[in-house]
Formats: sequence, structure tokens, C-alpha cells
Amino acid sequence: MYDAFRSKRLAEQRALDAADQEIIAKALEDGVETAWDRFIDQQPQCGFGQLGICCNRCAMGPCRIEPFGKKPDRGVCGATADTIVARNLLDDLSTGAAAHSDHGREVLEVLLETAVGKSQGYQITDETKLKAIAAEYGINTENRKKEEIAEDVARAMLEEYGTLKNRIQMAERAPEKTKDTWKRLGIVPRSVDREIVESMHRIHMGVGADYVNILLHAMRTSLADGWGGSMMATEGSDILFGTPAPLRSRANLATLKQDMVNIVLHGHNPILSEMIVKAADDPQLKERAAGKGAKGINIVGMCCTGNELLMRHGIPIAGTFLDQELAIATGAVEVMVVDYQCIFPSIAQTAACYHTRVVSTSQKAKIPGTTYLEFRPETALDTAREIITVAIDNFPNRNPGRVRIPQKPVDLMAGFSEEAIRKALGGTYKPLIDAIVGGRIRGAVGIVGCNNPKIKQDYGHVTLAKELIKRDILVLETGCAAIACGKAGLLVPEAADLAGDGLGSVCKALGIPPVLHMGSCVDCSRILMLAANIAKELGVGIGDLPIGGAAPEWYSQKAISIGTYFVSSGVYVVLGIPPKIFGSPNVTGLLAAQLTDLVNASFAVEPDPVKAADLLEAEIDRKRKALGI
Amino acid sequence: MKTVFVRPELCIGCRHCEIACAIEHSESRRLFDAIHEEKRSLPRIHVEVGVNCLTFPNRCRHCDPAPCMQVCPTGSLCRDPVTGSVVVRYDRCIGCAVCAMACPFGIIHFQRVHNLDTDREVNAKCDNCIQRQKEGRIPACAEACKTGALEFGDANDLIRTSRRDFTLRLTASEGTDAEVPKIPANVGAFRAILEEMANLG
Repeated sequence: MYDAFRSKRLAEQRALDAADQEIIAKALEDGVETAWDRFIDQQPQCGFGQLGICCNRCAMGPCRIEPFGKKPDRGVCGATADTIVARNLLDDLSTGAAAHSDHGREVLEVLLETAVGKSQGYQITDETKLKAIAAEYGINTENRKKEEIAEDVARAMLEEYGTLKNRIQMAERAPEKTKDTWKRLGIVPRSVDREIVESMHRIHMGVGADYVNILLHAMRTSLADGWGGSMMATEGSDILFGTPAPLRSRANLATLKQDMVNIVLHGHNPILSEMIVKAADDPQLKERAAGKGAKGINIVGMCCTGNELLMRHGIPIAGTFLDQELAIATGAVEVMVVDYQCIFPSIAQTAACYHTRVVSTSQKAKIPGTTYLEFRPETALDTAREIITVAIDNFPNRNPGRVRIPQKPVDLMAGFSEEAIRKALGGTYKPLIDAIVGGRIRGAVGIVGCNNPKIKQDYGHVTLAKELIKRDILVLETGCAAIACGKAGLLVPEAADLAGDGLGSVCKALGIPPVLHMGSCVDCSRILMLAANIAKELGVGIGDLPIGGAAPEWYSQKAISIGTYFVSSGVYVVLGIPPKIFGSPNVTGLLAAQLTDLVNASFAVEPDPVKAADLLEAEIDRKRKALGI
Repeated sequence: MKTVFVRPELCIGCRHCEIACAIEHSESRRLFDAIHEEKRSLPRIHVEVGVNCLTFPNRCRHCDPAPCMQVCPTGSLCRDPVTGSVVVRYDRCIGCAVCAMACPFGIIHFQRVHNLDTDREVNAKCDNCIQRQKEGRIPACAEACKTGALEFGDANDLIRTSRRDFTLRLTASEGTDAEVPKIPANVGAFRAILEEMANLG
């Protein structure tokens, strides 16, 4: 039987944000299953899996290693815990690198089709960035139309996925000292696809057994993502849709509107969501919505495609990864459009509890129970219009008796691309460097990553961000971490009051928040570029900078790749959720300690965000001391 | 007296014992067939989460005298004279659940069983793998357990290990940090993280 007090208590345990709590309680009241319920159903989760000592690759297995020092201490093939853990980690990391990079590939394909006039609705928006990247690739820009340049740039960037060139141009952007470290370790990325395919090869039985060698390739694969696939996803999207600049918007489930047609854009790639935003301006569609009794079309984002739209157009963002079911449970969503990554396979079952229709759009991501409208660049705008029409026509099916939308959206500021930050500082990082040297800002930490039902939603992100800014450490965010802090009101200039005196005064002088929203998860590449440019201005490596990274609530394999490319680039990373490596003391020791001797950075695991802030602060102090500041 | 002894500190919650138990009590006694049987065999051992994400595999202790046997109104519960196991005569069970009320461990579970022609749900608790024992094999759960959390043998022999551990703990002088049984540092570190997560926020 439904128990209102129990629901309220559960909601408070599950999420930090009041709007989320309200809808979690409603979902419980409506009997709608969410990830939190499925997480309970999964308890206990297998200890072999959690420790990373289960190997389910070949048909001699599945095998597992006894973790208390008894038999079996080897798989049927003879693999030890070290080998199995390292192979599993490489597998997860490569999955994440592939997800980012394949997203990047699609952006570049649209860029190419746009350049040759085959796409519908797209254009070259940021010509300055196009020309800057053309220069990096040695592509002639003089007296050429932007489409001609874009064609060459797109082809050159797509070539980074191939194997003939044997180097990635974007990785050249790293400081010399950082690149020298990669060369010394033999982990300079050669090509995006090559490293991922080689990973798949290496985790086959009977290829590598040396965990160190396996993990070195994991580092190289992550670099092909961070300085390759992800970075090209960011740059390609900026060329097509514009490089973000600071703007205002709002966040949380209250961005859904009572009297409007609500469309939630969920997933990752901007190539689809941008067209839907564009199509929603169509007067005919607005008229159609009015005809159905709606006051308009309300488009909100979710997860990283939401971040892409928020950064460039100020489209409000309804929430993070764990909000996808809650948005539907408001009863007010006409259509949820999804592309790929982080979409719950059960999302259509959730939607079936209400009038909501889920529209899947990618031939890579078909989901049972959804309406499939395949999205192709050459018919992009038509498909976008069709999707909006589906939403409008579904508006009369909304049951007002089952609708509950939380009251207040929270204001936020986003749009802090690396270029925008540099511009705000007057075109050079000198003012920021001076503030760091002078101690008003002690350093910076990138907080990134997801939600995970293993930790109260947003608690890790928000608590860590608050702790760091209090200690005069600037916070840079992407992904769900940024949305979480947006919901918590940390992405406004007024949040400078929560910062220490030093950071607070700098933020107030510049009129910026102490927590900067830098974009989607592929936009962690913006944080890399920020670090690289500061390091270059100082003539040091990224590993010398007083900076850190954190993923307090990560769940996705993509986060493993991000964490690893940060560490491999010299940035210490604290994870809030333990990765599946504890079954091997050797692998754990390498990642948590010995890496420091190689790249001057390592991983740490600390679920408590306050203690994580202590670790990050200590790391920043260590690096400040080494720099003599 | 032979028993399946539980060492909870070695349980990592993999649930191999649950699967092995379900297979053993299915009609086919084979994994790939068992999952398609009309009366699906369910585990009679239950791995559940306690505090700090630690797990405990809970199963029938085959008490003697057994409270469940004492209260059963139809005499469907009886003792196997050879193994000392408390077993259920499914055809006599009327599903009244009085046995479950009396069980100190809460391990009685009702389900349909292939051994009966009817669709009634009956007390299908652990039978100590009596058939396997007759074949000279140990119970399926203990065989499946790779960490030694479930160990089959003479109760007094198995208890001896616990007794020795206790003696060591008791006699260890302060500061020696004697830990028995010895949990490897990496597993201990992982459990500490789980405990922290369980108590966060």
C-alpha cells in the first residue's frame, strides 16, 4: 500500500534537490519503477564483478579469482587477478572512448555533408574556429569559401580515425613537456579507431598478460579520446553551431511547463537536438500547438545534449541522468527525444505509465516501445518538424489529473567555453595566473561525470563543489556534474558569496560564478585545452599545474576514459565510486600511487566529498609548492 | 553432525550459491534446461545485504529439535534419519505457513515444485541437498562457493577454526591488530569504501 511518509523519506534519501524529491515521491505514488528501485532489486551485487576479478570473455569461462588468497587464483587460461582486472578495465575504458569518439565522428560527418551542401538545416557558424583549425592542419584558407575550407577540415579530422597517418593532430595542442612524457612512456595516441580496435585485440585471450603493458595502452586509448575523439566532437560542434559564450538560463524539473507542449531532448549529440530547436521556431508548428490548446512549444534539455543546447542557446535544462524517468513522471512530457548514450533501456516502459511518447532517432540506438524516426543529416529539419508534430498532437492526451510540475526553476549561467573564459580574462590567462600565483585562487578542479544510484543524486557533485570554492579553488564542470550544480544554484555569480574571500573577490570582479559550466561530457576537452593553454603560457607541463579532477558520482565507462586521459595528461583524479579494480592489489597500487612517478598524477577513490576535497586540496598544495608559489 | 557452516566475513555476495541451489532442485538439474522449466526452481538459500553492504547467505540450519517440525499440523516436515536433515513431504504441506512463523531464521519459502502434480505452492525450503549427499557429494551451495563462505563438514571441525580465531583475537595484546580470519588489504580497502558509501549523506 502507498505510504506517503515512506515515500517522502525515500525521496529525501535518493536525491538532494527538492524538485527531484517531489517527483520521486510522485513516482512512488504512481507506482512507476525507477533506477533506484531496480538498484534495490539488484542487491546484493556480485563481489567478483565489483572487484573486477570475473572474466566472461571466452568460452572456457566464465572464470573468477578467489579474492581471499585461496584457489582458484587463475582463470582456465591461466590469467591472474592482475591480468583479468587490467583487461576488464581496458575493455571498459575503450567502450567509453568509443562512445565519445563515435559521437565525434557523426558531428564531423555532418560537417562534411554541410560543406558539400548535402545536409538540411545546418550551416558553418563559427568561421573563426574553422580557420584556426584549418591552420593547425595546414589547410589553405586564403580566398576560399568557408564551405571549401570546411570540407578539407572535415576530411582531415575524419582522417584522425584512420590508421595511415599514425598521429593525431589535436594531440599536438598539448604542452611540450606533457607530450615528452607521453613519448617517454610510449603512449602518444596514433589514431582514434586504431587504439580502440587494438584494445579489443589486446583483451582477447592469449594476447597481453602483463598488466602494466595493458594499462599503458589504456592510457594511450584514453588520450586518443580526450585529445582526439572528444576534442573533435567539441570543435566540430562549435564550427557547426557556434562556440559557446556566457549566457543565462534555468535548471531543474520546473523548467517543464504546465500549459505548453513539453519536449525533452535527452542524449548526447547536438546534431539532432539543434535541428529540433531550430524547427520549433516554425510559425506553422506554433500555430498547430495553439490549435491543440497549448500556449507554445517548450523545449528543455536533459543530460549532455541538453548541455550542448544550454551552452549555445540557453535552452533550459530539466535535469541529469537520474532525472530522465522523473521528467516523465511529472506527467507533463509530450515527447522525449533520444539519440544515444545514457538512455535507460526501460525508458519506454516508464513512458507507458503516462501519455509520453519516446522518439528514438539513431540507427545505432533502437529501443523497444519507442517511436522510431530515423534522423539523417540530409533530411534533418524535416524529421525535426515531424518529431515536434508528434509532440503537439500528443498534447491533448495529457491527463491533467496526473500532472505535477515542481514550482521553481533555478537560475544559472553557462556557456564557459575555453575561448569565452580566455576572452573574459582579456585574451590572455595572465590575470588568472596572477590570481593563482598570488594565492587568491589556489588552483582549479574539474568536477565531471554522471549520477549513480549508489550515491544520493547530486550530493557528491554539489558538496564537493561547495567545499572547493570555500577553499578558494575554482571549479570547472561538465556533464551531469554541471547540471547538478546548476540545480543547486552554484552556477550564478551570486554564488561567489559561498566562495572563500580570494576566489569570491575574483569572481565578483569578473561577474562570473565560482563554478563554471564548460559543457557536455565530450567538452571535458575544453578543460584539457584550458589547462594546456595555461601550462603553455607558463612554459610548464599540465602535470605541473595546481589542478585536479573529480568524478564523485560516475557510472559510465566514458568516465573511466575521461578520468584516465586527465591522469595521463598530468591531472590527479578522485573518484567517488570505486572502479572495478580492487581485486588486484598490483593494478590498484599502480593507479593509486606508482603513476605519480610516471605522469605526476594518479587516481584516488574517496566517496565522501568532504574528504575528497581534502585530497584535492593537498594535491593542489603539493603542486603549488613544486612551482614555488 | 554435518552442516553447511557460514563464514559471513568471506561472503562477497556473488550469489553463485543461489544459482547452484536452484539448479539442484530443478527437474532437470541442468542450468540451461532449468531456466525453461514450467515450474521454475527458485533458490532455497538467500544472499541478502546487511549493514555496510556486507552480505550473509541465509539457509535452513536443520535445527534439532526443529521449531518448524514441532508446529507443522500435517506432519509434512520430518527428519531424515541418515543425514539429520529436516525435509518436507510436499504432498502433505497445506501452505499454512505456521512453519515460517516458527522458523528463527526466516528461511521458509513457498513455491511450486516439480515433484508435485498440482500447482500448489508448498514449503520448499533447503533440504540439505539430501539427494547429492546420498550420491556422496556435498550440498550444491557449498560446492559453488568459491570463497569458503559456505563450508560443508562436521560442525565441530568447522567450529574449531572459529574457536582458534577467537582465541587469537582474545589473546592478542593491544596494538598487535590481530585480524582473523585474515582479510587481504585490497578487499579490506574495498569494504571500507562500501561502508563509507553506505553511511554517506
